[in-house]
Amino acid sequence: MAASLGRIRHLCIKHCVARSLSANLKDSHVFLCSRKGFYTCSQVWSGDVENKPVKAEKISKAMKSYMERAKAYNDFMQNEIEEYELGKRHLANIMGEDPDNFTQADVDKAIAYLLPSGLFDKKARPIFKHPYEIFPARRASQFGMDGRPHHYLFYTGKPQFFEILHNISAKHTELTEVEMTERGKVTEKKLNPARFQKLTKTALETLTNETISPQHYLNFCILMDRLITHPLARRAEEFIVKYSKKLDLGSQAVHRITPEKDENGREYIRADGKRKSSRATVTVYDQGQGDISVNGQDLTYFSSMQDRNQLLFPLQVVDKIGQVDISCQVKDGGLAGQAGAIRIALAKALCSFVSDEDIGKLRLAGLLTPDPRTKERKKTSQPKARKKVPWKRR
Amino acid sequence: MEEEPKEFLDDDYFGVRKLVTVKSLFEVGAHLGHKTGCRDPYMAPFLFGTRFDLDIIDLEQTKVMMQDALNFAAHIAYRGGVILFASRYRQTLDIVEQTAKDCGEYAHCRYWRGGSFTNSNVIYKGATRLPDLCIFVSVLNSVFETHTGVIDSAKLLIPTIGIVDTNCDPRIISYPIPANDDTPVAIKLYCELFKQAILAGKEKKKKDQLVN
Repeated sequence: MAASLGRIRHLCIKHCVARSLSANLKDSHVFLCSRKGFYTCSQVWSGDVENKPVKAEKISKAMKSYMERAKAYNDFMQNEIEEYELGKRHLANIMGEDPDNFTQADVDKAIAYLLPSGLFDKKARPIFKHPYEIFPARRASQFGMDGRPHHYLFYTGKPQFFEILHNISAKHTELTEVEMTERGKVTEKKLNPARFQKLTKTALETLTNETISPQHYLNFCILMDRLITHPLARRAEEFIVKYSKKLDLGSQAVHRITPEKDENGREYIRADGKRKSSRATVTVYDQGQGDISVNGQDLTYFSSMQDRNQLLFPLQVVDKIGQVDISCQVKDGGLAGQAGAIRIALAKALCSFVSDEDIGKLRLAGLLTPDPRTKERKKTSQPKARKKVPWKRR
Repeated sequence: MEEEPKEFLDDDYFGVRKLVTVKSLFEVGAHLGHKTGCRDPYMAPFLFGTRFDLDIIDLEQTKVMMQDALNFAAHIAYRGGVILFASRYRQTLDIVEQTAKDCGEYAHCRYWRGGSFTNSNVIYKGATRLPDLCIFVSVLNSVFETHTGVIDSAKLLIPTIGIVDTNCDPRIISYPIPANDDTPVAIKLYCELFKQAILAGKEKKKKDQLVN
């Protein structure tokens, strides 16, 4: 059993190393084939009635080299898979499980049990997975039997990425031509560029399976911006969405809460708000007289004018002073923090009683944005967060 | 002695010579060169003269050289050769790439990595078949020096066709075509001509295979 476990440990280490290497290196096989040209298969006697030599198909040197590499890779993977399957059976035997029904989840559990690791990084711990998950996948052949590349931009070195750039540019030219013919008759609305989030560099790299330099990515961004801001971009929306994400207004929309009814049959909305360490719950009754109560007291709970104005600010913006009744429960923090907590809770509650335009006004006034500021920490060798000990020249 | 292939017996086997006319070249402004101060001395034989300090290219010479180049391109296409269109003139990048796409050949109008031909095993990750013909729609790169591809093609004995303007060096190009390489309309015409020549070569190949 010790010998089997040692073997498994060896395979785990191999998998760990292979995985970390594959993360850094892409599939880079270098061959020193210096002479370009064709490789002709030797003439074959067909053994036919005519007894004539059949001229075999010409394979280019490039293709021959690729086929050799592909064969080497396949042989290697075959070997690895055999080792993996055998190792899996050993592991099942060690654990006392049925080797035929030993799944990958069982394997992972067994490895964690047999080879416990205190390492922090999960990727550094022993792994035992199928070779297809460990070793990087080979890229399919880039050219045919005659050596002619499949992609028309093969010689640029990044065919997929430059094809994307070409397509975006071609689309833009197409739209411009249409615009020329329809001059003066265009009625459709432009696209809102803020709603289209271009693919990130890493997303583009995964899409094309090629590395992209920051300058190239900048080119991509510029081209996409030009296309999205074209007057007729709406006609190319389906194409634009291939290389960008359309953002829903949902992220901007406010969730209106349906009012509940209390024991007297009055409709009310309850909302929460916080500022620094204060927590507030505000209950707003529509069609009221302007009664305000904070923790049982009226507005005189706040002795300072500034704090009272904080409370009334949302009502001012939507013109509801004297038209709603408010009841607040607030705890923790100081008076100013409590006032801020009530303010945002009140603004959130009012959204459900008020038109979309007024919600926009509230948003523009900044009343719907929580204030994330907290007290800055004191630093060492300083008396306070920012105050420093007097600086002496010598 | 082996019989010469029949495509070499005819001067215009693909019928591409009639595609070029001085009139069509003139209409797109192919005769307009750069200022006399920018002139490359080796372009002097191809100039008709100067006017208002602008060099004028002799279109009669251009026509003949363009016909030879088109014929050569058609022959290469006839034999299934890999043809690479190259240019570093960004304004006409799309036209050149589209031309290559349309005639089933290849284009490289982006930054030319040093060693693309001479170190191709590293650049393209493995043995690769290099082009059998390079067509330079603009022979200069973006800093007005000769395109590295022109020099590397000469090193590797890859034949080249190049549109040479009055500020270009035509010496190491196999089939130079003295013409204006800055006007997009002119570039469109040249690309159209190359495309037709290549497609004519491929068509003829298909026909000749059917006959055999």
